Amino acid sequence: MVNVTKGILVECDPAMKQFLLHLDDTEAFGRKFVIQDLGENCLFISSDILETLQDKIDDIMDRLSFPLAEK
Amino acid sequence: MFDTKERKAKKRQKVELEAAEEYDDFEEESPQDVKSAVPESATRQVDDSAKEDEFGAKDYRTTLDLKNDHNSRPLFVAPNGHIFLESFSPVYKHAHDFLIAISEPVCRPQFVHEYKLTAYSLYAAVSVGLETNDIIEYLRRLCKTSLPNGIEEFIKLCTLSYGKVKLVLKHNKYYVESMHPEVIQQLLKDPVIQECRFRLSAEESEGGIVEGQVSNKSALQLNKPANGNPDQPGTSADGTTDGAEQPTVPSDIFDYYDKMDREDEDETEDLKTVSFEVKAEHIETMQKRCIELEFPLLAEYDFKNDTINPDINIDLKPSTVLRPYQEKSLRKMFGNGRARSGVIVLPCGAGKTLVGVTAACTVRKRCLVLATSGVSVEQWRSQFKMWSTADDSIICRFTSDAKDKPIGCSICISTYSMLAHSMKRSWEAERVMEWMQSQEWGIMLLDEVQTIPAKMFRRVLTIVNAHTKLGLTATLVREDDKIADLNFLIGPKLYEANWMELQNKGYIARVQCAEVWCPMNPEFYREYLNTKSMKKLLLAVNNPNKFRNCQFLIKYHERRNDKIIVFSDNVFALKSYAIKLNKPYLYGPTSQGERMQVLQNFVHNPKVNTIFVSKVADTSFDLPEANVLIQISAHGGSRRQEAQRMGRILRAKKGAIAEEYNAFFYTLVSQDTLEVHYSLKRQRFLVNQGYSYKVITKLAGMETVN
Repeated sequence: MVNVTKGILVECDPAMKQFLLHLDDTEAFGRKFVIQDLGENCLFISSDILETLQDKIDDIMDRLSFPLAEK
Repeated sequence: MFDTKERKAKKRQKVELEAAEEYDDFEEESPQDVKSAVPESATRQVDDSAKEDEFGAKDYRTTLDLKNDHNSRPLFVAPNGHIFLESFSPVYKHAHDFLIAISEPVCRPQFVHEYKLTAYSLYAAVSVGLETNDIIEYLRRLCKTSLPNGIEEFIKLCTLSYGKVKLVLKHNKYYVESMHPEVIQQLLKDPVIQECRFRLSAEESEGGIVEGQVSNKSALQLNKPANGNPDQPGTSADGTTDGAEQPTVPSDIFDYYDKMDREDEDETEDLKTVSFEVKAEHIETMQKRCIELEFPLLAEYDFKNDTINPDINIDLKPSTVLRPYQEKSLRKMFGNGRARSGVIVLPCGAGKTLVGVTAACTVRKRCLVLATSGVSVEQWRSQFKMWSTADDSIICRFTSDAKDKPIGCSICISTYSMLAHSMKRSWEAERVMEWMQSQEWGIMLLDEVQTIPAKMFRRVLTIVNAHTKLGLTATLVREDDKIADLNFLIGPKLYEANWMELQNKGYIARVQCAEVWCPMNPEFYREYLNTKSMKKLLLAVNNPNKFRNCQFLIKYHERRNDKIIVFSDNVFALKSYAIKLNKPYLYGPTSQGERMQVLQNFVHNPKVNTIFVSKVADTSFDLPEANVLIQISAHGGSRRQEAQRMGRILRAKKGAIAEEYNAFFYTLVSQDTLEVHYSLKRQRFLVNQGYSYKVITKLAGMETVN
């Protein structure tokens, strides 16, 4: 039996990959989205998460950094 | 006996606290006053016409008129009290001296410097002798535009009543003195003050106001440099630019500057003053009342006429020569032949200790030095011996380790925690404390004075009775907002040096600051994301890539024969790095003896080029040889720590060329972790002093090693 799943290949640095895996583990978007871990800087993720990911990822990353304007 | 003293101390503390509230009120009040003092039209126009653009910039073009010759004037004064100075202007030097006196430096990068007018800064300006009209007039002349009305009002508000009356300790009696007879008359009409006034006899009514004279002559006597001015390259360079640009500078700026400058000089011009004596026991009531009347008293100590406290016999050695900025800062302190209390801010490594020693040699009364640690106590002692004629017979250390007997000594060096200690002491220490409390101290030197506002250490000021207090620091910042408290705990800021200027003249090392990015390795980052506690930071510090970078940097600099200090706040990381790299390390539990031994080895032994230290070495560890600093972990976002750590390598290097970088400050940051956030925060202080950080994403040559 062969399962066919449509997905997208993500290439990123190792830290970013870990971050995506972390989001996957904690179900930050309400569900799992990583299909396959393909090595140091590649991930195979389901294609329907792409839009959400593109929307939210900047927000989440910003939360990790420090607002410069703050005195 | 002890009981009454304690009560007295408590009482004094209470009064001080009340005074604090008084000041706080003022601080809160004044911005409001300014707001109401600014003509409605001005503020409203600013808000309406100058909608802040997306970067937060404001447009003041509609409220301020640009002068025709604006090109040759160096400043903008914004209606919110911020002043922007062009550092490339030909009159920069003059404008800078003036702005330092009246405002607080906010940010001083290469080309445009930002200052801010505050109630405290104006208070400090008045206390060093500037007058309201002079301030406004000179500011008006330097400004490219018309002066905003609100600013003028603000300056008037803050300076008119400030600094007019002084509390002078002369011949061991307290006098309220003023150059303005009408102010004295006004004060004397107040019933509370009448109570406090000292009269010879009951029937004496209107007399008793003493007319006197104050000499303008500075009390500072210094050794003149034997041959030539050490500052010469700087001045001659200034001279030439001045000469070339002079025609474009409106003459009024120079006229006025000359006038102000003359007031600064040591002319023996006598000023008429009026004064009345105050009963010593009512001093506190008096001070409080004067603050209520909005005539805060500036305390001055006429040490030359203090005949009761014995003089101590110390002088600067003939070979001791002060650098121009050290002399300038001391002139502010001893401006009119008396000693004022206050704070002097100099970069680490710029010779703060010498300033302190010179102040003690000028006052020549019993002197108490307070430092932050046992090691810095030793350093103060050796500096006293190095610069002045003081020897072991008059210098005593009062610490838990030292075996000196401080009772009866002339110069006592101790630590804040030793004095503030509130638990049971040994019998001997108890006697020493009693003795200290019973003495009148001529001058108290407070090293790293920014620690004083901490509740613990505040007590120190009430325990010891000192006539002058001089605070010394490099970093007048705290992460809480208590720094303004120093204004009433010690006194106004007398002088603040510009780091970049000292660097360019070669008085402090030229430091290259760098932030080295270390990518987190995947396993560590995974764990980092999954932990919720302080372990996060531990994982970030022990990032294997960071370790690699650290090892590489150490090897690289050891090959250049540099001396390297590695800082880590995290003790676990400190030990594991040091043990793996086989280097000596110092941290809290290390004994005094071992510390000294390691430091001696570091300085003299060519085989020990690297030491690992925890935050115990942040302040006052004087390691003149060190020129490379690697920071692997730090205390959150503390700006003070960053600056003080850099201070460890700031001492000017022998035979160094001023144009080249001769010291290196690396911060290793694990990417995508909290460290990035903290590192940005920590850098703000040094960036404000004009330093720039180079970001290194990859260390060149790293791959070829091994």
